[in-house]
Amino acid sequence: MFNSSWTKYLWIAWTSAKSNTAYLGEVGSRVIFLGVILYIFLRLWQVTYSETGASELGGLSLAQMLWYLAVTESIILSGPRVSQTVDQDVRTGQLAVHLIKPLSYPLYCLGNCLGERSVRFVLNLSVGLLMVTCFVGPIHITLQSVLFLLLALPLAFILDFLANFLIGLGAFWLEDTTGLMLIYSRITMVLGGMLIPIELFPDYMQPYLKALPFASIVYGPARMFVAPDPAQMTGLLANQLMGILVFSIFVYAVYRVAAGRIFANGG
Amino acid sequence: MEAEKEERLWFKFTGYLTLALSYIKFNLKSQWEYRGAFLSQMVAMAANNCVWVAFWALFFTRFPVLRGWGVEDVITLWAVAATGFGLAHSVCGNALALPWIIARGQLDVWMLYPRALLSHVLLGSMSATSCGDTVFGFFVYLAFVRPDLPHLLLFVVLSISVAFLFVGFSILTGSLTFFLGNAEGLAEQWRFSMITFSTYPATLFEGVVKIILYTLIPAAFVSYLPIVALKEMSMYYTALTLAGSFAVLAIGSAVFYLGLRRYESGNLLEMRG
Repeated sequence: MFNSSWTKYLWIAWTSAKSNTAYLGEVGSRVIFLGVILYIFLRLWQVTYSETGASELGGLSLAQMLWYLAVTESIILSGPRVSQTVDQDVRTGQLAVHLIKPLSYPLYCLGNCLGERSVRFVLNLSVGLLMVTCFVGPIHITLQSVLFLLLALPLAFILDFLANFLIGLGAFWLEDTTGLMLIYSRITMVLGGMLIPIELFPDYMQPYLKALPFASIVYGPARMFVAPDPAQMTGLLANQLMGILVFSIFVYAVYRVAAGRIFANGG
Repeated sequence: MEAEKEERLWFKFTGYLTLALSYIKFNLKSQWEYRGAFLSQMVAMAANNCVWVAFWALFFTRFPVLRGWGVEDVITLWAVAATGFGLAHSVCGNALALPWIIARGQLDVWMLYPRALLSHVLLGSMSATSCGDTVFGFFVYLAFVRPDLPHLLLFVVLSISVAFLFVGFSILTGSLTFFLGNAEGLAEQWRFSMITFSTYPATLFEGVVKIILYTLIPAAFVSYLPIVALKEMSMYYTALTLAGSFAVLAIGSAVFYLGLRRYESGNLLEMRG
């Protein structure tokens, strides 16, 4: 399944990214929502910092907190609808058409997802960072911050893709997978630290949350961008690689079983 | 003469009520045909809302008071918003699809029915996830706030008021399609903004944004006035909530019928069973 040449998947990713740049207006219209949510977070955290009288919460100043939230929101809002696409391919029988092409279907979806997500993420992040700079001003960003983000993001996107793909494959057995998808996305938002950094969760929960894949997708990359720490970065990369390995095994196993259930008719 | 007028109005009102009940029954039957999907979507939406309430519970564990609001107030806010939104789109499931229906010229099929066009279009479908919202809203309010009977009755009244507000707002945003062509994206962004502002304490906002929350994005009629009305058992705030909701509904309906004059019929053939 995964033994095909990698270059064609890179081309798929590149084509997907290019086709998304052709619809920048559509992608751009989504940034209105990003603006609204960042403004709400600004007010929420401004009030919280002022009522507690603290200059730092969870090791982050107000400006760092807003920058952190801009990155986490950009990660979440850039996510393509992978599970819905897989679900539709399974239900409509489109999957059978993919199978006759000299491509691995999971890797084709991965390439497509990474290309689309890269464009969306860059656009969201640019607008998000511009907004938070207007709201709270700039923060100290080093070359290390950028490098850590660039290193952690692709792995976070792959991990998120694998989880989404697995949910989409549920269409082979379930009447509807949108419910599962909804729950997964909300858990990623809350337990992944999109709304509140993990340092602000109760102390007893923090080690477990940091070990879960949700934090490796959202919290880890954003935290490394606003407050880089080489030791934490090593832990994050280890968690991401472990998550990718475990999810890949699951995807491989489920896809193999699912592929055996495909029935195609017609000509 | 006056009595006859009253009787006609009453007859009209009961007629529309019967129509709404018949649609609800019909839509529920149709959803129940795919009960697996229906129930899973309901449960998923309720679980989704639980996740948000869990976030606020965690937030208030760390910061117990936010501008005078505690965790119970935020749970009440979520209960009112979810029940209102849920009722609105369980009963008027097509309200969210209005831009799409107008843009594709699908109003034609609804024009053939007797009675007002808007009532048929709106009542024509049911959203399964919205049923989950309704169940969640009632459950959370009963389980966590544990109201006495007067509070519960007021909660029901306010939730119905919020439902009217959401329907009116969906009609208003959806009707933009008559004037702007395909306004699906814009209507969606506007609606998302409304929902997002409706689920955060309105006390966070000041100045121009506060004015916006009473006008362009009328979220204050969901996230502020009903909560104060319930907290203080205030008839004044209840009246303000009801007035805001009916104003939005009236404006939405007026814009819809104004836009309908610009509607051009499509050549799409469609049948409804």
